[in-house]
Amino acid sequence: MKYWPYLLAALAVAVLLPLWLAPSGYLIRVLTLALLFAALGQAWNIVGGLANQISLGHAAFFGLGAYTSTLLLINFGLSPWIGMLAAAGIGALAAFVLSFPTMRLSGHYFALATLAFSEVLRVLASSWGSVTGGPAGLSVPFSPDSLLMLQFKSTRPYYYIILAALLIVTAIFVAIRRSALGYRLRAVKESISAAEVIGVDTARVKVIASVISAALTAALGVIYAQLTYFFDPDSVFGIISISIRIALITILGGVGTAIGPIIGSFLIVPLEELANLLLSSRAAGLSQLFFGILLIAIILVQPRGVLVLIRNIVTRARRRKPS
Amino acid sequence: MAFIQAVLDGLMIGGVYAVISIGLTLVFGVMGIVNFAQAEFLMLGMFVAYFAWAYLGLDPLIGSILSFIVIFCIGFLVQRTLIQRVMKAPPVAQIFLTVGLLIVIENLALLAFGSSFRSVSTSYQTSSLRIGPLFVSVPYLAAFCMAVLSGFALWLFTDRSWYGQAMRATAQNPLAARLMGIDVERMQQIAFGLGVGLTAFGGAIVLPYFTVNPTVGSQFVVLMFTAVVLGGLGNVVGAVIGGLAVGVIQSLSALLFPIQLQNLVLFLVFIGVLALRPTGLVGSSR
Amino acid sequence: MSTPLLELSGVSKNFGGLRALSDVSFRLDRPGIIGLIGPNGSGKSTLFNTLVGLHRADKGTILLSGTPIVGRKPHQIAAMGMTKTFQNVALFMDMTVIDNVVVGALLRNNVKEAHQWAMHCLERVGLAAIAGKTAGELSFPERARIEVARCLATRPTVLLLDEVMAALNSVEMEGIMALLRSLRDDGLGIIIVEHHMHAVMTLSERIIVLNFGKKIAEGSPQEISRHPDVVRAYLGREYAAGA
Repeated sequence: MKYWPYLLAALAVAVLLPLWLAPSGYLIRVLTLALLFAALGQAWNIVGGLANQISLGHAAFFGLGAYTSTLLLINFGLSPWIGMLAAAGIGALAAFVLSFPTMRLSGHYFALATLAFSEVLRVLASSWGSVTGGPAGLSVPFSPDSLLMLQFKSTRPYYYIILAALLIVTAIFVAIRRSALGYRLRAVKESISAAEVIGVDTARVKVIASVISAALTAALGVIYAQLTYFFDPDSVFGIISISIRIALITILGGVGTAIGPIIGSFLIVPLEELANLLLSSRAAGLSQLFFGILLIAIILVQPRGVLVLIRNIVTRARRRKPS
Repeated sequence: MAFIQAVLDGLMIGGVYAVISIGLTLVFGVMGIVNFAQAEFLMLGMFVAYFAWAYLGLDPLIGSILSFIVIFCIGFLVQRTLIQRVMKAPPVAQIFLTVGLLIVIENLALLAFGSSFRSVSTSYQTSSLRIGPLFVSVPYLAAFCMAVLSGFALWLFTDRSWYGQAMRATAQNPLAARLMGIDVERMQQIAFGLGVGLTAFGGAIVLPYFTVNPTVGSQFVVLMFTAVVLGGLGNVVGAVIGGLAVGVIQSLSALLFPIQLQNLVLFLVFIGVLALRPTGLVGSSR
Repeated sequence: MSTPLLELSGVSKNFGGLRALSDVSFRLDRPGIIGLIGPNGSGKSTLFNTLVGLHRADKGTILLSGTPIVGRKPHQIAAMGMTKTFQNVALFMDMTVIDNVVVGALLRNNVKEAHQWAMHCLERVGLAAIAGKTAGELSFPERARIEVARCLATRPTVLLLDEVMAALNSVEMEGIMALLRSLRDDGLGIIIVEHHMHAVMTLSERIIVLNFGKKIAEGSPQEISRHPDVVRAYLGREYAAGA
């Protein structure tokens, strides 16, 4: 791959940059969030990019992860790392269960079903107060700085953990894409009946991709809970704040590519923060409005993402130059 | 007895849900896209009727007609400038365009109208009629009658007018329709305007017993989508039956479950229908 | 007596009120080429779809190498050795030619072996040169042959070819015919649906004729070309009366 030198350089920057920044400052927090959403986008990429199953309900798994590990922590004192394993398991199980009613759905119907599922969980989390703390949400019990309990006073350790998570999820994405599963997913994306007839178990392939994506998303939900110390049903099961944002990030950067979610996240998250800083004080809803306009603009101009957009512009510019 | 009262109330409100849902199903039927922003047009319709009441003194039942007209025009333009561009695009583009539209409309409304809750007050708001042991709330009844009238008007349009038939032709086979000389794009613009206009109309006629604010759309999303899916995406008669069914289910759920869980039942019905019979319980497979 | 490659008994399939297939029975005893002909709408494609499991037969049995397959999913039937091409050619358009064939090869190989086997299959159909091209860029005849390669990659025992010779010129057709003969010599059972009568008559050892979902004749090409029911089905009653 001819991009190796650039990737290594980027990785070096990513690793070294935090050392120059204030360990709990605003900047490092934005970068940490960008990394988290990049990882979430990459996990979504497995179903949205490889399998072309547009899920608008990934918040379901994200929220399940956050609640699972935090409840285990609150009630049994279990380390969030164990919570992460449990969360991944529960996320995988949820995806597996969800795959039955959605197996024969595609496109708009599938998106609707995933949306409904995540809303069901949000309503449940909000009403089952005795277990989940209801609409008021949950707080992660305080513990002094500890890797075992995944809790730190400053943001910098979280940054590195999430960076590692992003690398792992990306590695999984690339591995899947190159594997037999990847080929089969791409075939299923194009034509289910043609894939079936040459021996691809299309149902199984879709479920496997879905389960992996859900497990990873749930695990990331755990990290989010530990990072923010507090969450409620609307923040972790949020349609726009989580599900759509994840999908938007991946689509903006280039759905189906390994680097897409990373580019998308590092464009959108800082932009959003900037918009929030500048606009929110002026009026509520202005930064979200900006978000919506951006989404529409991407879809209309280049739905295949920023990379393709840039490549097209460059190609067109080259054609105009005299040889 | 409480049961029958609940069913009656459910049917009354269900009539309105039916009109709201017809709008959504019409858009899918003619254009093949699920308009995730449909509930936002409902919200806009409610605001139009609210302002018509606040500044012009129009009763919401009359204001609802104004809502229909205004939102029809907005919808027509939206289809023409934005949605038309993704008609031939893959579902992911269509889905996210209407999602983007949802975000834009809701936040524009938030900026323009603020987040406070507003409501109208009409003379008949709290009155109800007695039919034997049952009560019929007058605003419910009025809304139901308007809903029936609009349904009749719609039927006249789709069955008796040239435009209506041309729209149905476009829904069934765009290519054939085009070859027959029908301006398919114009039909889609009309259909979209009609669809969001109807939903807006439905929102306006329930103004007497709903408060309106820019986020009110989310209260109707589940109802609309469940009704439409129950009846089969694209099936207008199905949407009517679905709307009535949703009204009754919601009403009965209010009787049995705490308020937060009411919508849960609807969600589960929604997922259940999608799973077992995605083409809906009414009519044949599409 | 060895197990027949493929055996159908009384296979029927209805769609609502439409009887797409009625009581179709025949047997493929050993490797060979069978032609399946009939007017448009006679049920040929439905029969293929039912054989590979895209439709489920309402009545009757289908035995593939002695094992019943009615009710099984297409991917299971493919694993058991039967696959088909699509009349409108269903290649994975955004994927390269080689990747298309690899998907088929993955049925019985790991990824690395699949690439080698896929290349071999492409060579077999004579299109190894365009392995790197995107499927969407190809001409229709090229796509048809890639589909054949993709089927071959699954190492079938029975291969169903749905009009792979459409839009071919005579040179290309000779090439395909030679390919099919060599596949038969390798031990494959092949059923072809074609409208090129000359090709069907020359290639097939036996021909089955469908009309309105029923088998109306079965025999050698010579017998079939003279069969009054066949002539009537294709050309009409008056012609048959005069023949």
